[in-house]
Amino acid sequence: MKRRTFLQASAAGIAGALTGTAGLLTWVPRAHAATITTAYSITDGYITQPDGVNVYFKGYSDSATGLNVPASSFIVQEGDTVQVTINNTLGTDHSFVIDGVVDSGVIAAGTSKTVSFLASTAGSYLFYDKLNTPYNRAVGLHGAMAVMPTGSANTLYAGSPSFVKQLFWVYNECDPAVNEAVRTNSTPPPLSSYVPRYFTINGLSARPPGAPGYDDPAINSYYDPRTALAGYIGDRTLVRVLSAGLCTHSMHFHANHVELLTRNGSVLADIWLKDVVSLDNNMGSADLIYPFDPPPDAWPPVSTGNFVMHLHNEQTQTSGGGSYQFGAQTSIKFK
Amino acid sequence: MGMGTACYVYPGAPATPGIVTPDISFDRGVYMNGSVTMDDGRAIEVWGFTQGGMMGNQFPSPPMRVREGQIVHTNFTNNGMMWLHTIHHHGIEPSTENDGVGHTSFDVDGSYTYQWKASNAGTYFYHCHTNTVLHAEMGMYGALIIDPPDGSKRAFTGAPLYDVEAIWACDEFDSSWHTLNWDAGTCGADVGLNDMRPDYFIISGVDGASSALTDTRAAVSMNAGQALLVRYINAGYTPQRINFGGLSGDVIASDGRPLPNAVPATSWKSTAAERYDIMFYPTTPGIYEVTVEYLHWVTGAVIGTARTRINVN
Ligand SMILES: [Cu+2]
Ligand SMILES: [Cu+2]
Repeated sequence: MKRRTFLQASAAGIAGALTGTAGLLTWVPRAHAATITTAYSITDGYITQPDGVNVYFKGYSDSATGLNVPASSFIVQEGDTVQVTINNTLGTDHSFVIDGVVDSGVIAAGTSKTVSFLASTAGSYLFYDKLNTPYNRAVGLHGAMAVMPTGSANTLYAGSPSFVKQLFWVYNECDPAVNEAVRTNSTPPPLSSYVPRYFTINGLSARPPGAPGYDDPAINSYYDPRTALAGYIGDRTLVRVLSAGLCTHSMHFHANHVELLTRNGSVLADIWLKDVVSLDNNMGSADLIYPFDPPPDAWPPVSTGNFVMHLHNEQTQTSGGGSYQFGAQTSIKFK
Repeated sequence: MGMGTACYVYPGAPATPGIVTPDISFDRGVYMNGSVTMDDGRAIEVWGFTQGGMMGNQFPSPPMRVREGQIVHTNFTNNGMMWLHTIHHHGIEPSTENDGVGHTSFDVDGSYTYQWKASNAGTYFYHCHTNTVLHAEMGMYGALIIDPPDGSKRAFTGAPLYDVEAIWACDEFDSSWHTLNWDAGTCGADVGLNDMRPDYFIISGVDGASSALTDTRAAVSMNAGQALLVRYINAGYTPQRINFGGLSGDVIASDGRPLPNAVPATSWKSTAAERYDIMFYPTTPGIYEVTVEYLHWVTGAVIGTARTRINVN
């Protein structure tokens, strides 16, 4: 390890020129395909968990002196050529892979590599380090890319139900024993004894009212604008859910059922309305729309309110073995 | 079990906004001293909801059954001097005050009437949403069924008629969690609530090792030619795969919403808090052994199995 920087996870979800402001990812379609370039530096450092413990992570970071876990996400459109330059500042080999799309091969310690690929199919993709699978991915070397359909600003795929806004939710868990093994280049414990102690969406855990950091969107996944669902009635929000982690999860949405459009990269023939959406172990994914309809069972009817999305495998709602409400959860605000 | 030690709880017992006369109401209290005897003879502590007051020990908690279109009151009384709890009607989508999530509203300290409208027929459940990781594990849940407006024996209006109904709430216990205080871990202590290692596997409150093979809370008895509706609730935290013992069913609804097209299935996977409604039309008499396999959340390996039966006469 080259440096020991103590950082909070960055909440600035901006990928260079490719995406809009934090939280609300705006997208303006182009008439013609383009060549899109972006760059990441592979760095490491420590991130403070809700219980105060500092845990080692690696990330595809915005700069050689920062640490972003997950990487800043980016959006391109179908037909674009994407060039990603990865500057590996660490003393260990890493890679950059999107399954079925691109594989950098080894990016040796202390070297840079540029990969180029065609964004041929609309959808949501996880990029990650496939070396030392799954451990390099689990300690933070992952991020999300969206490919928009040609000429569309509001669909997931050509002809899909439309949305008004879109978000990425990149899930991860953390067993500090794995992170420590990666830091020291030693053999991690087997998957059967993987026991995560921290649970995150876009790198952050939740904080309940009254907790230190409750009001800080750079710390609290409730208020991280990249993560929180917030809208008026009709603000249909596409959530691109990508798990970088190892565990099976079960997302529970309060106040509205969601429209489930894809699972594990496959478009579903029938759109089911669900209040629980499963996320498979080992990089499960889903695309869904939270419709922001008036909560159907309110009496008297309401159009505003504060709700939650949390995982219902409730051991994920903890931090460091206790601290219920400090796990993988975010807010749903009807404004 | 005093209240003084809990952190990040939000005691309250306000008046219900816009309260009206309900079409149907349920009284619920809390018991914290229940016990379930497992097939190996061990007694495991459970908590749950009563039909009012503190007397009762039913596990799972008593079901609620209403009709689509009804305004419902859940009159919840909790001795806040002792402990805090809520009722979240899972899959029901009411206003914030009536959603039963402590930190967006209040943990009930005294009495609160949850008011909500049953807008969509289907299979739901209700559970406590205070220190949920522990309280739901301890058994604080029960079935919640919304029948069609006409009360017919269908999962929803337009669904096929059923003759026989089974509600299978499939859950697991990590017995090491069942000695914890109601507020365990809330102030930051490491009490192991991140690490579930289940050692008992349960169908509708009955040990799935052997009792659920015959106990009528789980086992089904029906005649060949009849239609069976199974309301399958993943009431645990562990992914499950349910195998229908050689029968093929039609999955017709999930999470209280009809599926656009029924899906034929001889087995089905679920994760925590999902519900699936499945129709069976067995024509051949026999004993069909249903197995619920509980899967490791990382490796997918089977870590436990619960068994019950569909006896077709
Ligand atoms: Cu409770
Ligand atoms: Cu629930």
